[in-house]
Amino acid sequence: MTENEGNTPALALRDLSVSVPDGQQTRILLDHVNLEVAAGELLAITGSSGSGKSTLLALAGLLRRPDSGEVTICGERTSDLGERQRTDLRRRQVSIVYQSANLVPSLTAVEQLELVGHINREKRKTARTRAESLLEELGIGDRWNQLPGRMSGGERQRVGIARALMSEPSVLLADEPVASLDPELSVQIAELLASETRSRNLATVIVTHDEVPLNYAHRHLHLEAGKLTDVGLADVR
Amino acid sequence: MFLALRELRRTWRRFILIASVVALVALLSTVLTGLANGLVTDNISGLRALPLTNLAFSPGAEATFSRSSLGPEALESWKQEPDVKVTPIGVSFVNASSASGGRSIDVALFGVAPDSFLYRDAHGAPDQHEASRGRPLHGLVLADELKEEGVKVGDRFRIGTDSGSLPVIGFTFGGTYGHAPIAYTDLGIWRQALFGNEAEPRYSALALQLPSGFDVTAADRRAGTETVSKQDAYAGSPGYSAETGTMTLIRAFLLGISALIVGAFFTILTIQRTRQIGLLKAMGASSAYVLRDGIGQIAVIVVLATAAGTLAGSGVIAIVGRGAVPVELSASAVIQSALLLAGSGVIGSLFAFRRVTRVEPAIALGVEQ
Ligand SMILES: Nc1ncnc2c1ncn2[C@@H]1O[C@H](COP(=O)(O)OP(=O)(O)O)[C@@H](O)[C@H]1O
Ligand SMILES: [Mg+2]
Repeated sequence: MTENEGNTPALALRDLSVSVPDGQQTRILLDHVNLEVAAGELLAITGSSGSGKSTLLALAGLLRRPDSGEVTICGERTSDLGERQRTDLRRRQVSIVYQSANLVPSLTAVEQLELVGHINREKRKTARTRAESLLEELGIGDRWNQLPGRMSGGERQRVGIARALMSEPSVLLADEPVASLDPELSVQIAELLASETRSRNLATVIVTHDEVPLNYAHRHLHLEAGKLTDVGLADVR
Repeated sequence: MFLALRELRRTWRRFILIASVVALVALLSTVLTGLANGLVTDNISGLRALPLTNLAFSPGAEATFSRSSLGPEALESWKQEPDVKVTPIGVSFVNASSASGGRSIDVALFGVAPDSFLYRDAHGAPDQHEASRGRPLHGLVLADELKEEGVKVGDRFRIGTDSGSLPVIGFTFGGTYGHAPIAYTDLGIWRQALFGNEAEPRYSALALQLPSGFDVTAADRRAGTETVSKQDAYAGSPGYSAETGTMTLIRAFLLGISALIVGAFFTILTIQRTRQIGLLKAMGASSAYVLRDGIGQIAVIVVLATAAGTLAGSGVIAIVGRGAVPVELSASAVIQSALLLAGSGVIGSLFAFRRVTRVEPAIALGVEQ
């Protein structure tokens, strides 16, 4: 980035508010939420089901707009941007890891990653090479030619993470990334997210109602009644 | 089309139904094109083969020979026009009854002047002297089609009420007009056969060879005629407008149906894929990227299916053409019909345009705006 990289957070949410229709009334889902995530930082957000965790990620990932407030990514304010510019910024800087991976059913593991290269207008050959080495790095190099239907849950999530890393983002958002995995795999995936955050200097936000990712987070916030509260520092690994 | 092509390869079974429907529509369209062109040829091939550029009719005749009658003044007036070749022509539909005991035939009787550009040399005529250029045709020169029906040179036919019988001098490529084979004869004989010995020197129309850029309107005003191009004169042939109109309507419907079917299919596909489209957008793909991918996929299917259907349709026409049904299918007609069909299919996929652009990336996370 720029010379002030040190003090500009990769992701900043300021005064974000969102209301959603709830029967006849509207319900305030997020109430003037503030959040900063620095490069290299892993943040965990917990909250009960329906508390607005996914909505918060959608706002941070520029997938939807808040009623009011500002989302800043790598120092770029986004509220005044048009849809096209938001799409562009999302493509370059933000990646999302989904619950149960959300892979494209008709693409093999390596093609899931190549698709990212294609969307980013990367050369076929370089995209392929990078995709193969990413899969290798995440320990699923031998599954490169497998369709999602024939992978295990853990393999799928590793491909999902590899796909998210393929665009070399600054911000990584993970929505319940271990929710559909058994405890042992959960530990592996959480470890993987933590080590990639460190080695790639990512600003990572993990939304979860599992305990496991909390052990790897630098900060732990709780979302309740539209407010984010700091639960305290987890021990830093 | 990174995603589209791989999806096609791996889930091709999903596309069999739509491809079959498009192929069948293409088959139907090709067969109809063959039949329509066959019908047109069967109707006006004789007129199409005449070496003329335009026809002058009497005003209000609407290019119909039987409604038109012109006299010597019109001919003289047209003869004064520079660089114009003109000759009178008489056209009537008649029943020629055999005077030699055979069956009678329905013909379009074309009376032409000797030494004119409409004059037909007969081939297979025994008396070269009589059938050669520059002499009036003292008899009938028949379209080749009639030879196949057993009519021979020397057979005699009676036309009209009081005239004597006319011999068949020979045969020529005559073609048809109003679905009837053409019989050429001398203009004088045509007039006498139809209007008797006391007939005025009149004829149905004037055949013209006009230079390009010729001012038809001014010449028409001077001559008191109504001139149309050869193509426009086809419409005056009995049944022509109705036939081509019907065929055009059916083919237009097929194009519309194909667009609707493909549009409906692509719409359903888009609805089924809403989550995947949301995912692509969440990954930073623009609506244009998603549309290119989807419409490209449809285009591949439509083009392949149309090609297959058109090929099959051409085969059907080739088989049908061996029978008595008039069919005609040129390469250009086939290609034109296929391109139109494929084009309308792809245009149909644009029905889902708004559906694709409206998909929100947020649905990838299960939350919508
Ligand atoms: N556009 C919307 N319209 C109506 N309700 C919505 C909308 N978006 C979110 N919600 C509601 O907001 C709540 C929070 O959703 P979500 O962010 O998915 O929560 P979480 O991920 O914490 O379970 C849910 O009850 C959901 O039904
Ligand atoms: Mg959620």
